[in-house]
Amino acid sequence: MMKYLPFILKNVFRKKTRSILTISSIILPLILICYLGTFLNLLEQPNAGESRGAYRLVTRHKVGLTNPIPSNYADKVSRLDGVLAVTKFAWFGGIYIDDSARNFFPRISVEPETFLKVFDDASLSKGSVDDWINDPSGCIVGEEIFKKYGWKIGDHIVLKGTIYPVTLQLTIRGVFGVQGGRSDTLFFNRKYLEESLPSFRGKIGTVWTRARDSDAATRLPTQIDELFENSSYPTKTETEKAFQMGFISMLGNVKLLIASMAVIIVSVIVLIASNTIAISARERIREIAVLRTLGFSRLMILSFIVGESLVMSIIGGLLGILVFLMTFKPLKALLAKTPVGGLSFSFTIFPETILLGIIVSTVVGLVSGIFPAIGASRRSIREGLRYIG
Amino acid sequence: MSEIIRMVEIMKKYNTYAEEITVLDSLNLAIKEGEFVALMGPSGSGKTTILNLLAGIDNTTSGSIFVGSDEISAMSDGQLAKWRSQHIGFIFQLYNLIPALTAFENVELPLLLTPLNRSERKEHVGTALDIVGLKDRMSYYPRQLSGGQEQRAGIARAIVTDPTILLADEPTGNLDGKSAEEVLLLLEDLNSIFKKTIVMVTHDPNAASRASRVTHLEKGILKEDMTKEDIIMNKNRVIGN
Ligand SMILES: Nc1ncnc2c1ncn2[C@@H]1O[C@H](COP(=O)(O)OP(=O)(O)O)[C@@H](O)[C@H]1O
Ligand SMILES: [Mg+2]
Repeated sequence: MMKYLPFILKNVFRKKTRSILTISSIILPLILICYLGTFLNLLEQPNAGESRGAYRLVTRHKVGLTNPIPSNYADKVSRLDGVLAVTKFAWFGGIYIDDSARNFFPRISVEPETFLKVFDDASLSKGSVDDWINDPSGCIVGEEIFKKYGWKIGDHIVLKGTIYPVTLQLTIRGVFGVQGGRSDTLFFNRKYLEESLPSFRGKIGTVWTRARDSDAATRLPTQIDELFENSSYPTKTETEKAFQMGFISMLGNVKLLIASMAVIIVSVIVLIASNTIAISARERIREIAVLRTLGFSRLMILSFIVGESLVMSIIGGLLGILVFLMTFKPLKALLAKTPVGGLSFSFTIFPETILLGIIVSTVVGLVSGIFPAIGASRRSIREGLRYIG
Repeated sequence: MSEIIRMVEIMKKYNTYAEEITVLDSLNLAIKEGEFVALMGPSGSGKTTILNLLAGIDNTTSGSIFVGSDEISAMSDGQLAKWRSQHIGFIFQLYNLIPALTAFENVELPLLLTPLNRSERKEHVGTALDIVGLKDRMSYYPRQLSGGQEQRAGIARAIVTDPTILLADEPTGNLDGKSAEEVLLLLEDLNSIFKKTIVMVTHDPNAASRASRVTHLEKGILKEDMTKEDIIMNKNRVIGN
């Protein structure tokens, strides 16, 4: 079959502009397919053992993140087997400087004593944990925002409450960084809030649990939820990773959405490509009849046309994959700055994604080529030779 | 010399939406090995149909066609394709070269169907182009060739596999006098020097005069002219309705 390749290639590029346009129309969707594939892959991997946060569990109110749960839930969870540490979170939000998007970063009240035990992948690069624990109005900030605002240890930060009617005067006691993670959050001592706002006492947003191992991390979510099942505050516990996925899942059934987008995209490429192939086969009705007069069989004609289609879509596919690989890092960096930034750290170039790209372009080539090819190879030679095109 | 082509009681009908057209009815034709037959007749009389049947690119409605020892009218589509690649060289009125391929590549096409390797193919293509006098134009694309040159490339493509029979459908129909003459001389040489059996459809009496035998097709009936060798073939004389 190799000796026919030059012939097939010549046919592919006989109308250069058209072929280039068709190939481009495959490149762009293929980049998209690769990204969608990456997301699907991410969603399909709920518990990749080594990935960050896999042993960390988040417990929240079953109904939703905005419903608080009792703070003593943390103590109850901490007594379960397989739990290494537990800490309490409550979202504060508020306004720093103004409420522009530029000045937005998460501000969360936590329990300093247990915080770093659960987030053992975070460490302080400046200041000290003790200073933070000993100062009820102390806070630690992520390296990213620390740099962005040009803060220094000891600087004061004023947060004007939005959910809570209170203005906080915080002092930076430490700067944290997370190995391979985002660090754009401000954590402050929840005692400060409890003291200035009695109604806040006894309520938390989420309980964060550090599980001992993957076994515990798998078992604990159900165990924890069973514990509170019949209380007035039932819970939902997930691994941190699944929790972050949950953020996107809030948009709806993301998997289905992504999969259907992929199917639509693939169908569109198939339509575009098969249209091109059909046009090019139609232009060559007489040529094909000539080839058959020379002794080329129907099957060979069919293979030539499918071959052309394959060559185009595979060239497009490979270029698409190449662009995907080239844009991956910058896009990952961009993603890290969004609310689902946590996701970006598990965002990698999966071999499955590349394979998906190759399979998709091959299938597109075969499917787009096969119908025009069958049509062209079925036509009678006599009709083909009489065809004035 | 032995008969190389035998068409026996050929009936050919076309079904159109409205009606059934009988183009050939009980046609008989025998051609001897090494003959150069000119097939003349008015437009629409079925000349191309006869060539197509001989080339195995169209089917008879009834009747049998023998080429050598093969009954091609009994062959399957796939068998016919293989048979054509070995036994038939077809020359078209409109040359029908593949525009995307050079003269060399056009002539090489039929050889792709043979077991010949690259260098053997190159050699054969070289010889064929040499015979038609186009060796210096082998890297030209059809659009860069004159009509006469295109037709000669077409002839090179038809002879490159050394087929049993050459079929030419109005090979000079689109050419000026000089180019037509070159093509006719070439066909004469192929017949006299290379002993090719040739069946040529033509409107042009001058072209027909180069043949060793001329037959006229009229209303589905074949009429023999005087052949050069003055052979009268009784058994495939006029049979019609
Ligand atoms: N596919 C077809 N359907 C109907 N009629 C056809 C078809 N092909 C050829 N014919 C008819 O068959 C007759 C012979 O055609 P053809 O062999 O091409 O004639 P010639 O080559 O002698 O001019 C013509 O009347 C033509 O109209
Ligand atoms: Mg004709």
